[in-house]
Amino acid sequence: MTNVGLTYLLLIVIAYGVLFGISPGRCRQSLAVAGQSLGRLLPLLVAVFALIGLFQVYLPPEVIERRLGAASGWSALLSGGLLGAVAIGPPVAAFPLAGSLLAAGAWPPAIAAFIVSWVSVGVFSLPVEAEVFGLRFALARNGIAFLAALLIGLLVGVVA
Amino acid sequence: MMLRGTLWMLLRSQWLLLLAITLYGWAFSATPDRALEALKVAGNSFSSVLLLIVAVMGLVGVIQVWISRDLISRLLGRQGGFRAFFIAAACGTVLIGPAYIIFPLLMSIRAQGARWGVIVTVLAAYAVKIPMIPLEVQYLGWGFSLTRSLLTILFAIPIGLAVEAIMERPTADGGH
Repeated sequence: MTNVGLTYLLLIVIAYGVLFGISPGRCRQSLAVAGQSLGRLLPLLVAVFALIGLFQVYLPPEVIERRLGAASGWSALLSGGLLGAVAIGPPVAAFPLAGSLLAAGAWPPAIAAFIVSWVSVGVFSLPVEAEVFGLRFALARNGIAFLAALLIGLLVGVVA
Repeated sequence: MMLRGTLWMLLRSQWLLLLAITLYGWAFSATPDRALEALKVAGNSFSSVLLLIVAVMGLVGVIQVWISRDLISRLLGRQGGFRAFFIAAACGTVLIGPAYIIFPLLMSIRAQGARWGVIVTVLAAYAVKIPMIPLEVQYLGWGFSLTRSLLTILFAIPIGLAVEAIMERPTADGGH
């Protein structure tokens, strides 16, 4: 991730260099916008990462595994969606966890809901989303994305 | 009075940070070892994406100042029609990186004239990771992975339209 970040940063720095050649004034304006949005979001992001740390240590994958391992039906589907909504981490981490659950005999719709919800619903990133887009947007989008995750989970169970 | 006002402002704008600090204070007093471990996890994951965050904010600055409103609203606004949604769904599936980095990027596109539905469709399609499908297949198998990805793409545009309808419904306080 650090290398990806470095690559992107390098590309952006080059882009700013080119844009500075075209119009120094507008380039400075871009820098100001970038600085402002960084300054506004950085404290929030620090907080989100601090919470991620707590979450990973105090709610390790084993807890999720215990909750999702055996049950099936509505409560399992709901647990899958809810655990996905509070889980944080890259999808790269969701797949192995989901795979081991499936292999252990977990109900496929609950696992599918878990993955979709993991990526598209974020309880911890909700404050960031509300700061950027407004609270109404954040609530509406996460609410509908959560329902969609459950529905997609159910349909995966029917098809796959 | 002034002091109280300032405190209230601080509480309102930085409540999440204050919450995190409080939780850590509590964690350190209860189980110092695990709290320290949590802090290490937090520090490591933050430093691994910090450069990416700075780069994306740089991109936000470029979009807001250099990309013309006309172009964005023609492609991704109401004028873009249904094609705007297909572009959005396609972009969502190839985007990678944590969501909280994508938010400011999408907001800058929104500020330049993209419609709400397009923004939400990108975020919904974002649950499909084309660059990571091989990995998903490896852990979950072809049937499960492809079905999940296809259904997620199919749902992305309806989700976008639904949230857009909520955002554009007039409210009593007149806020959008």
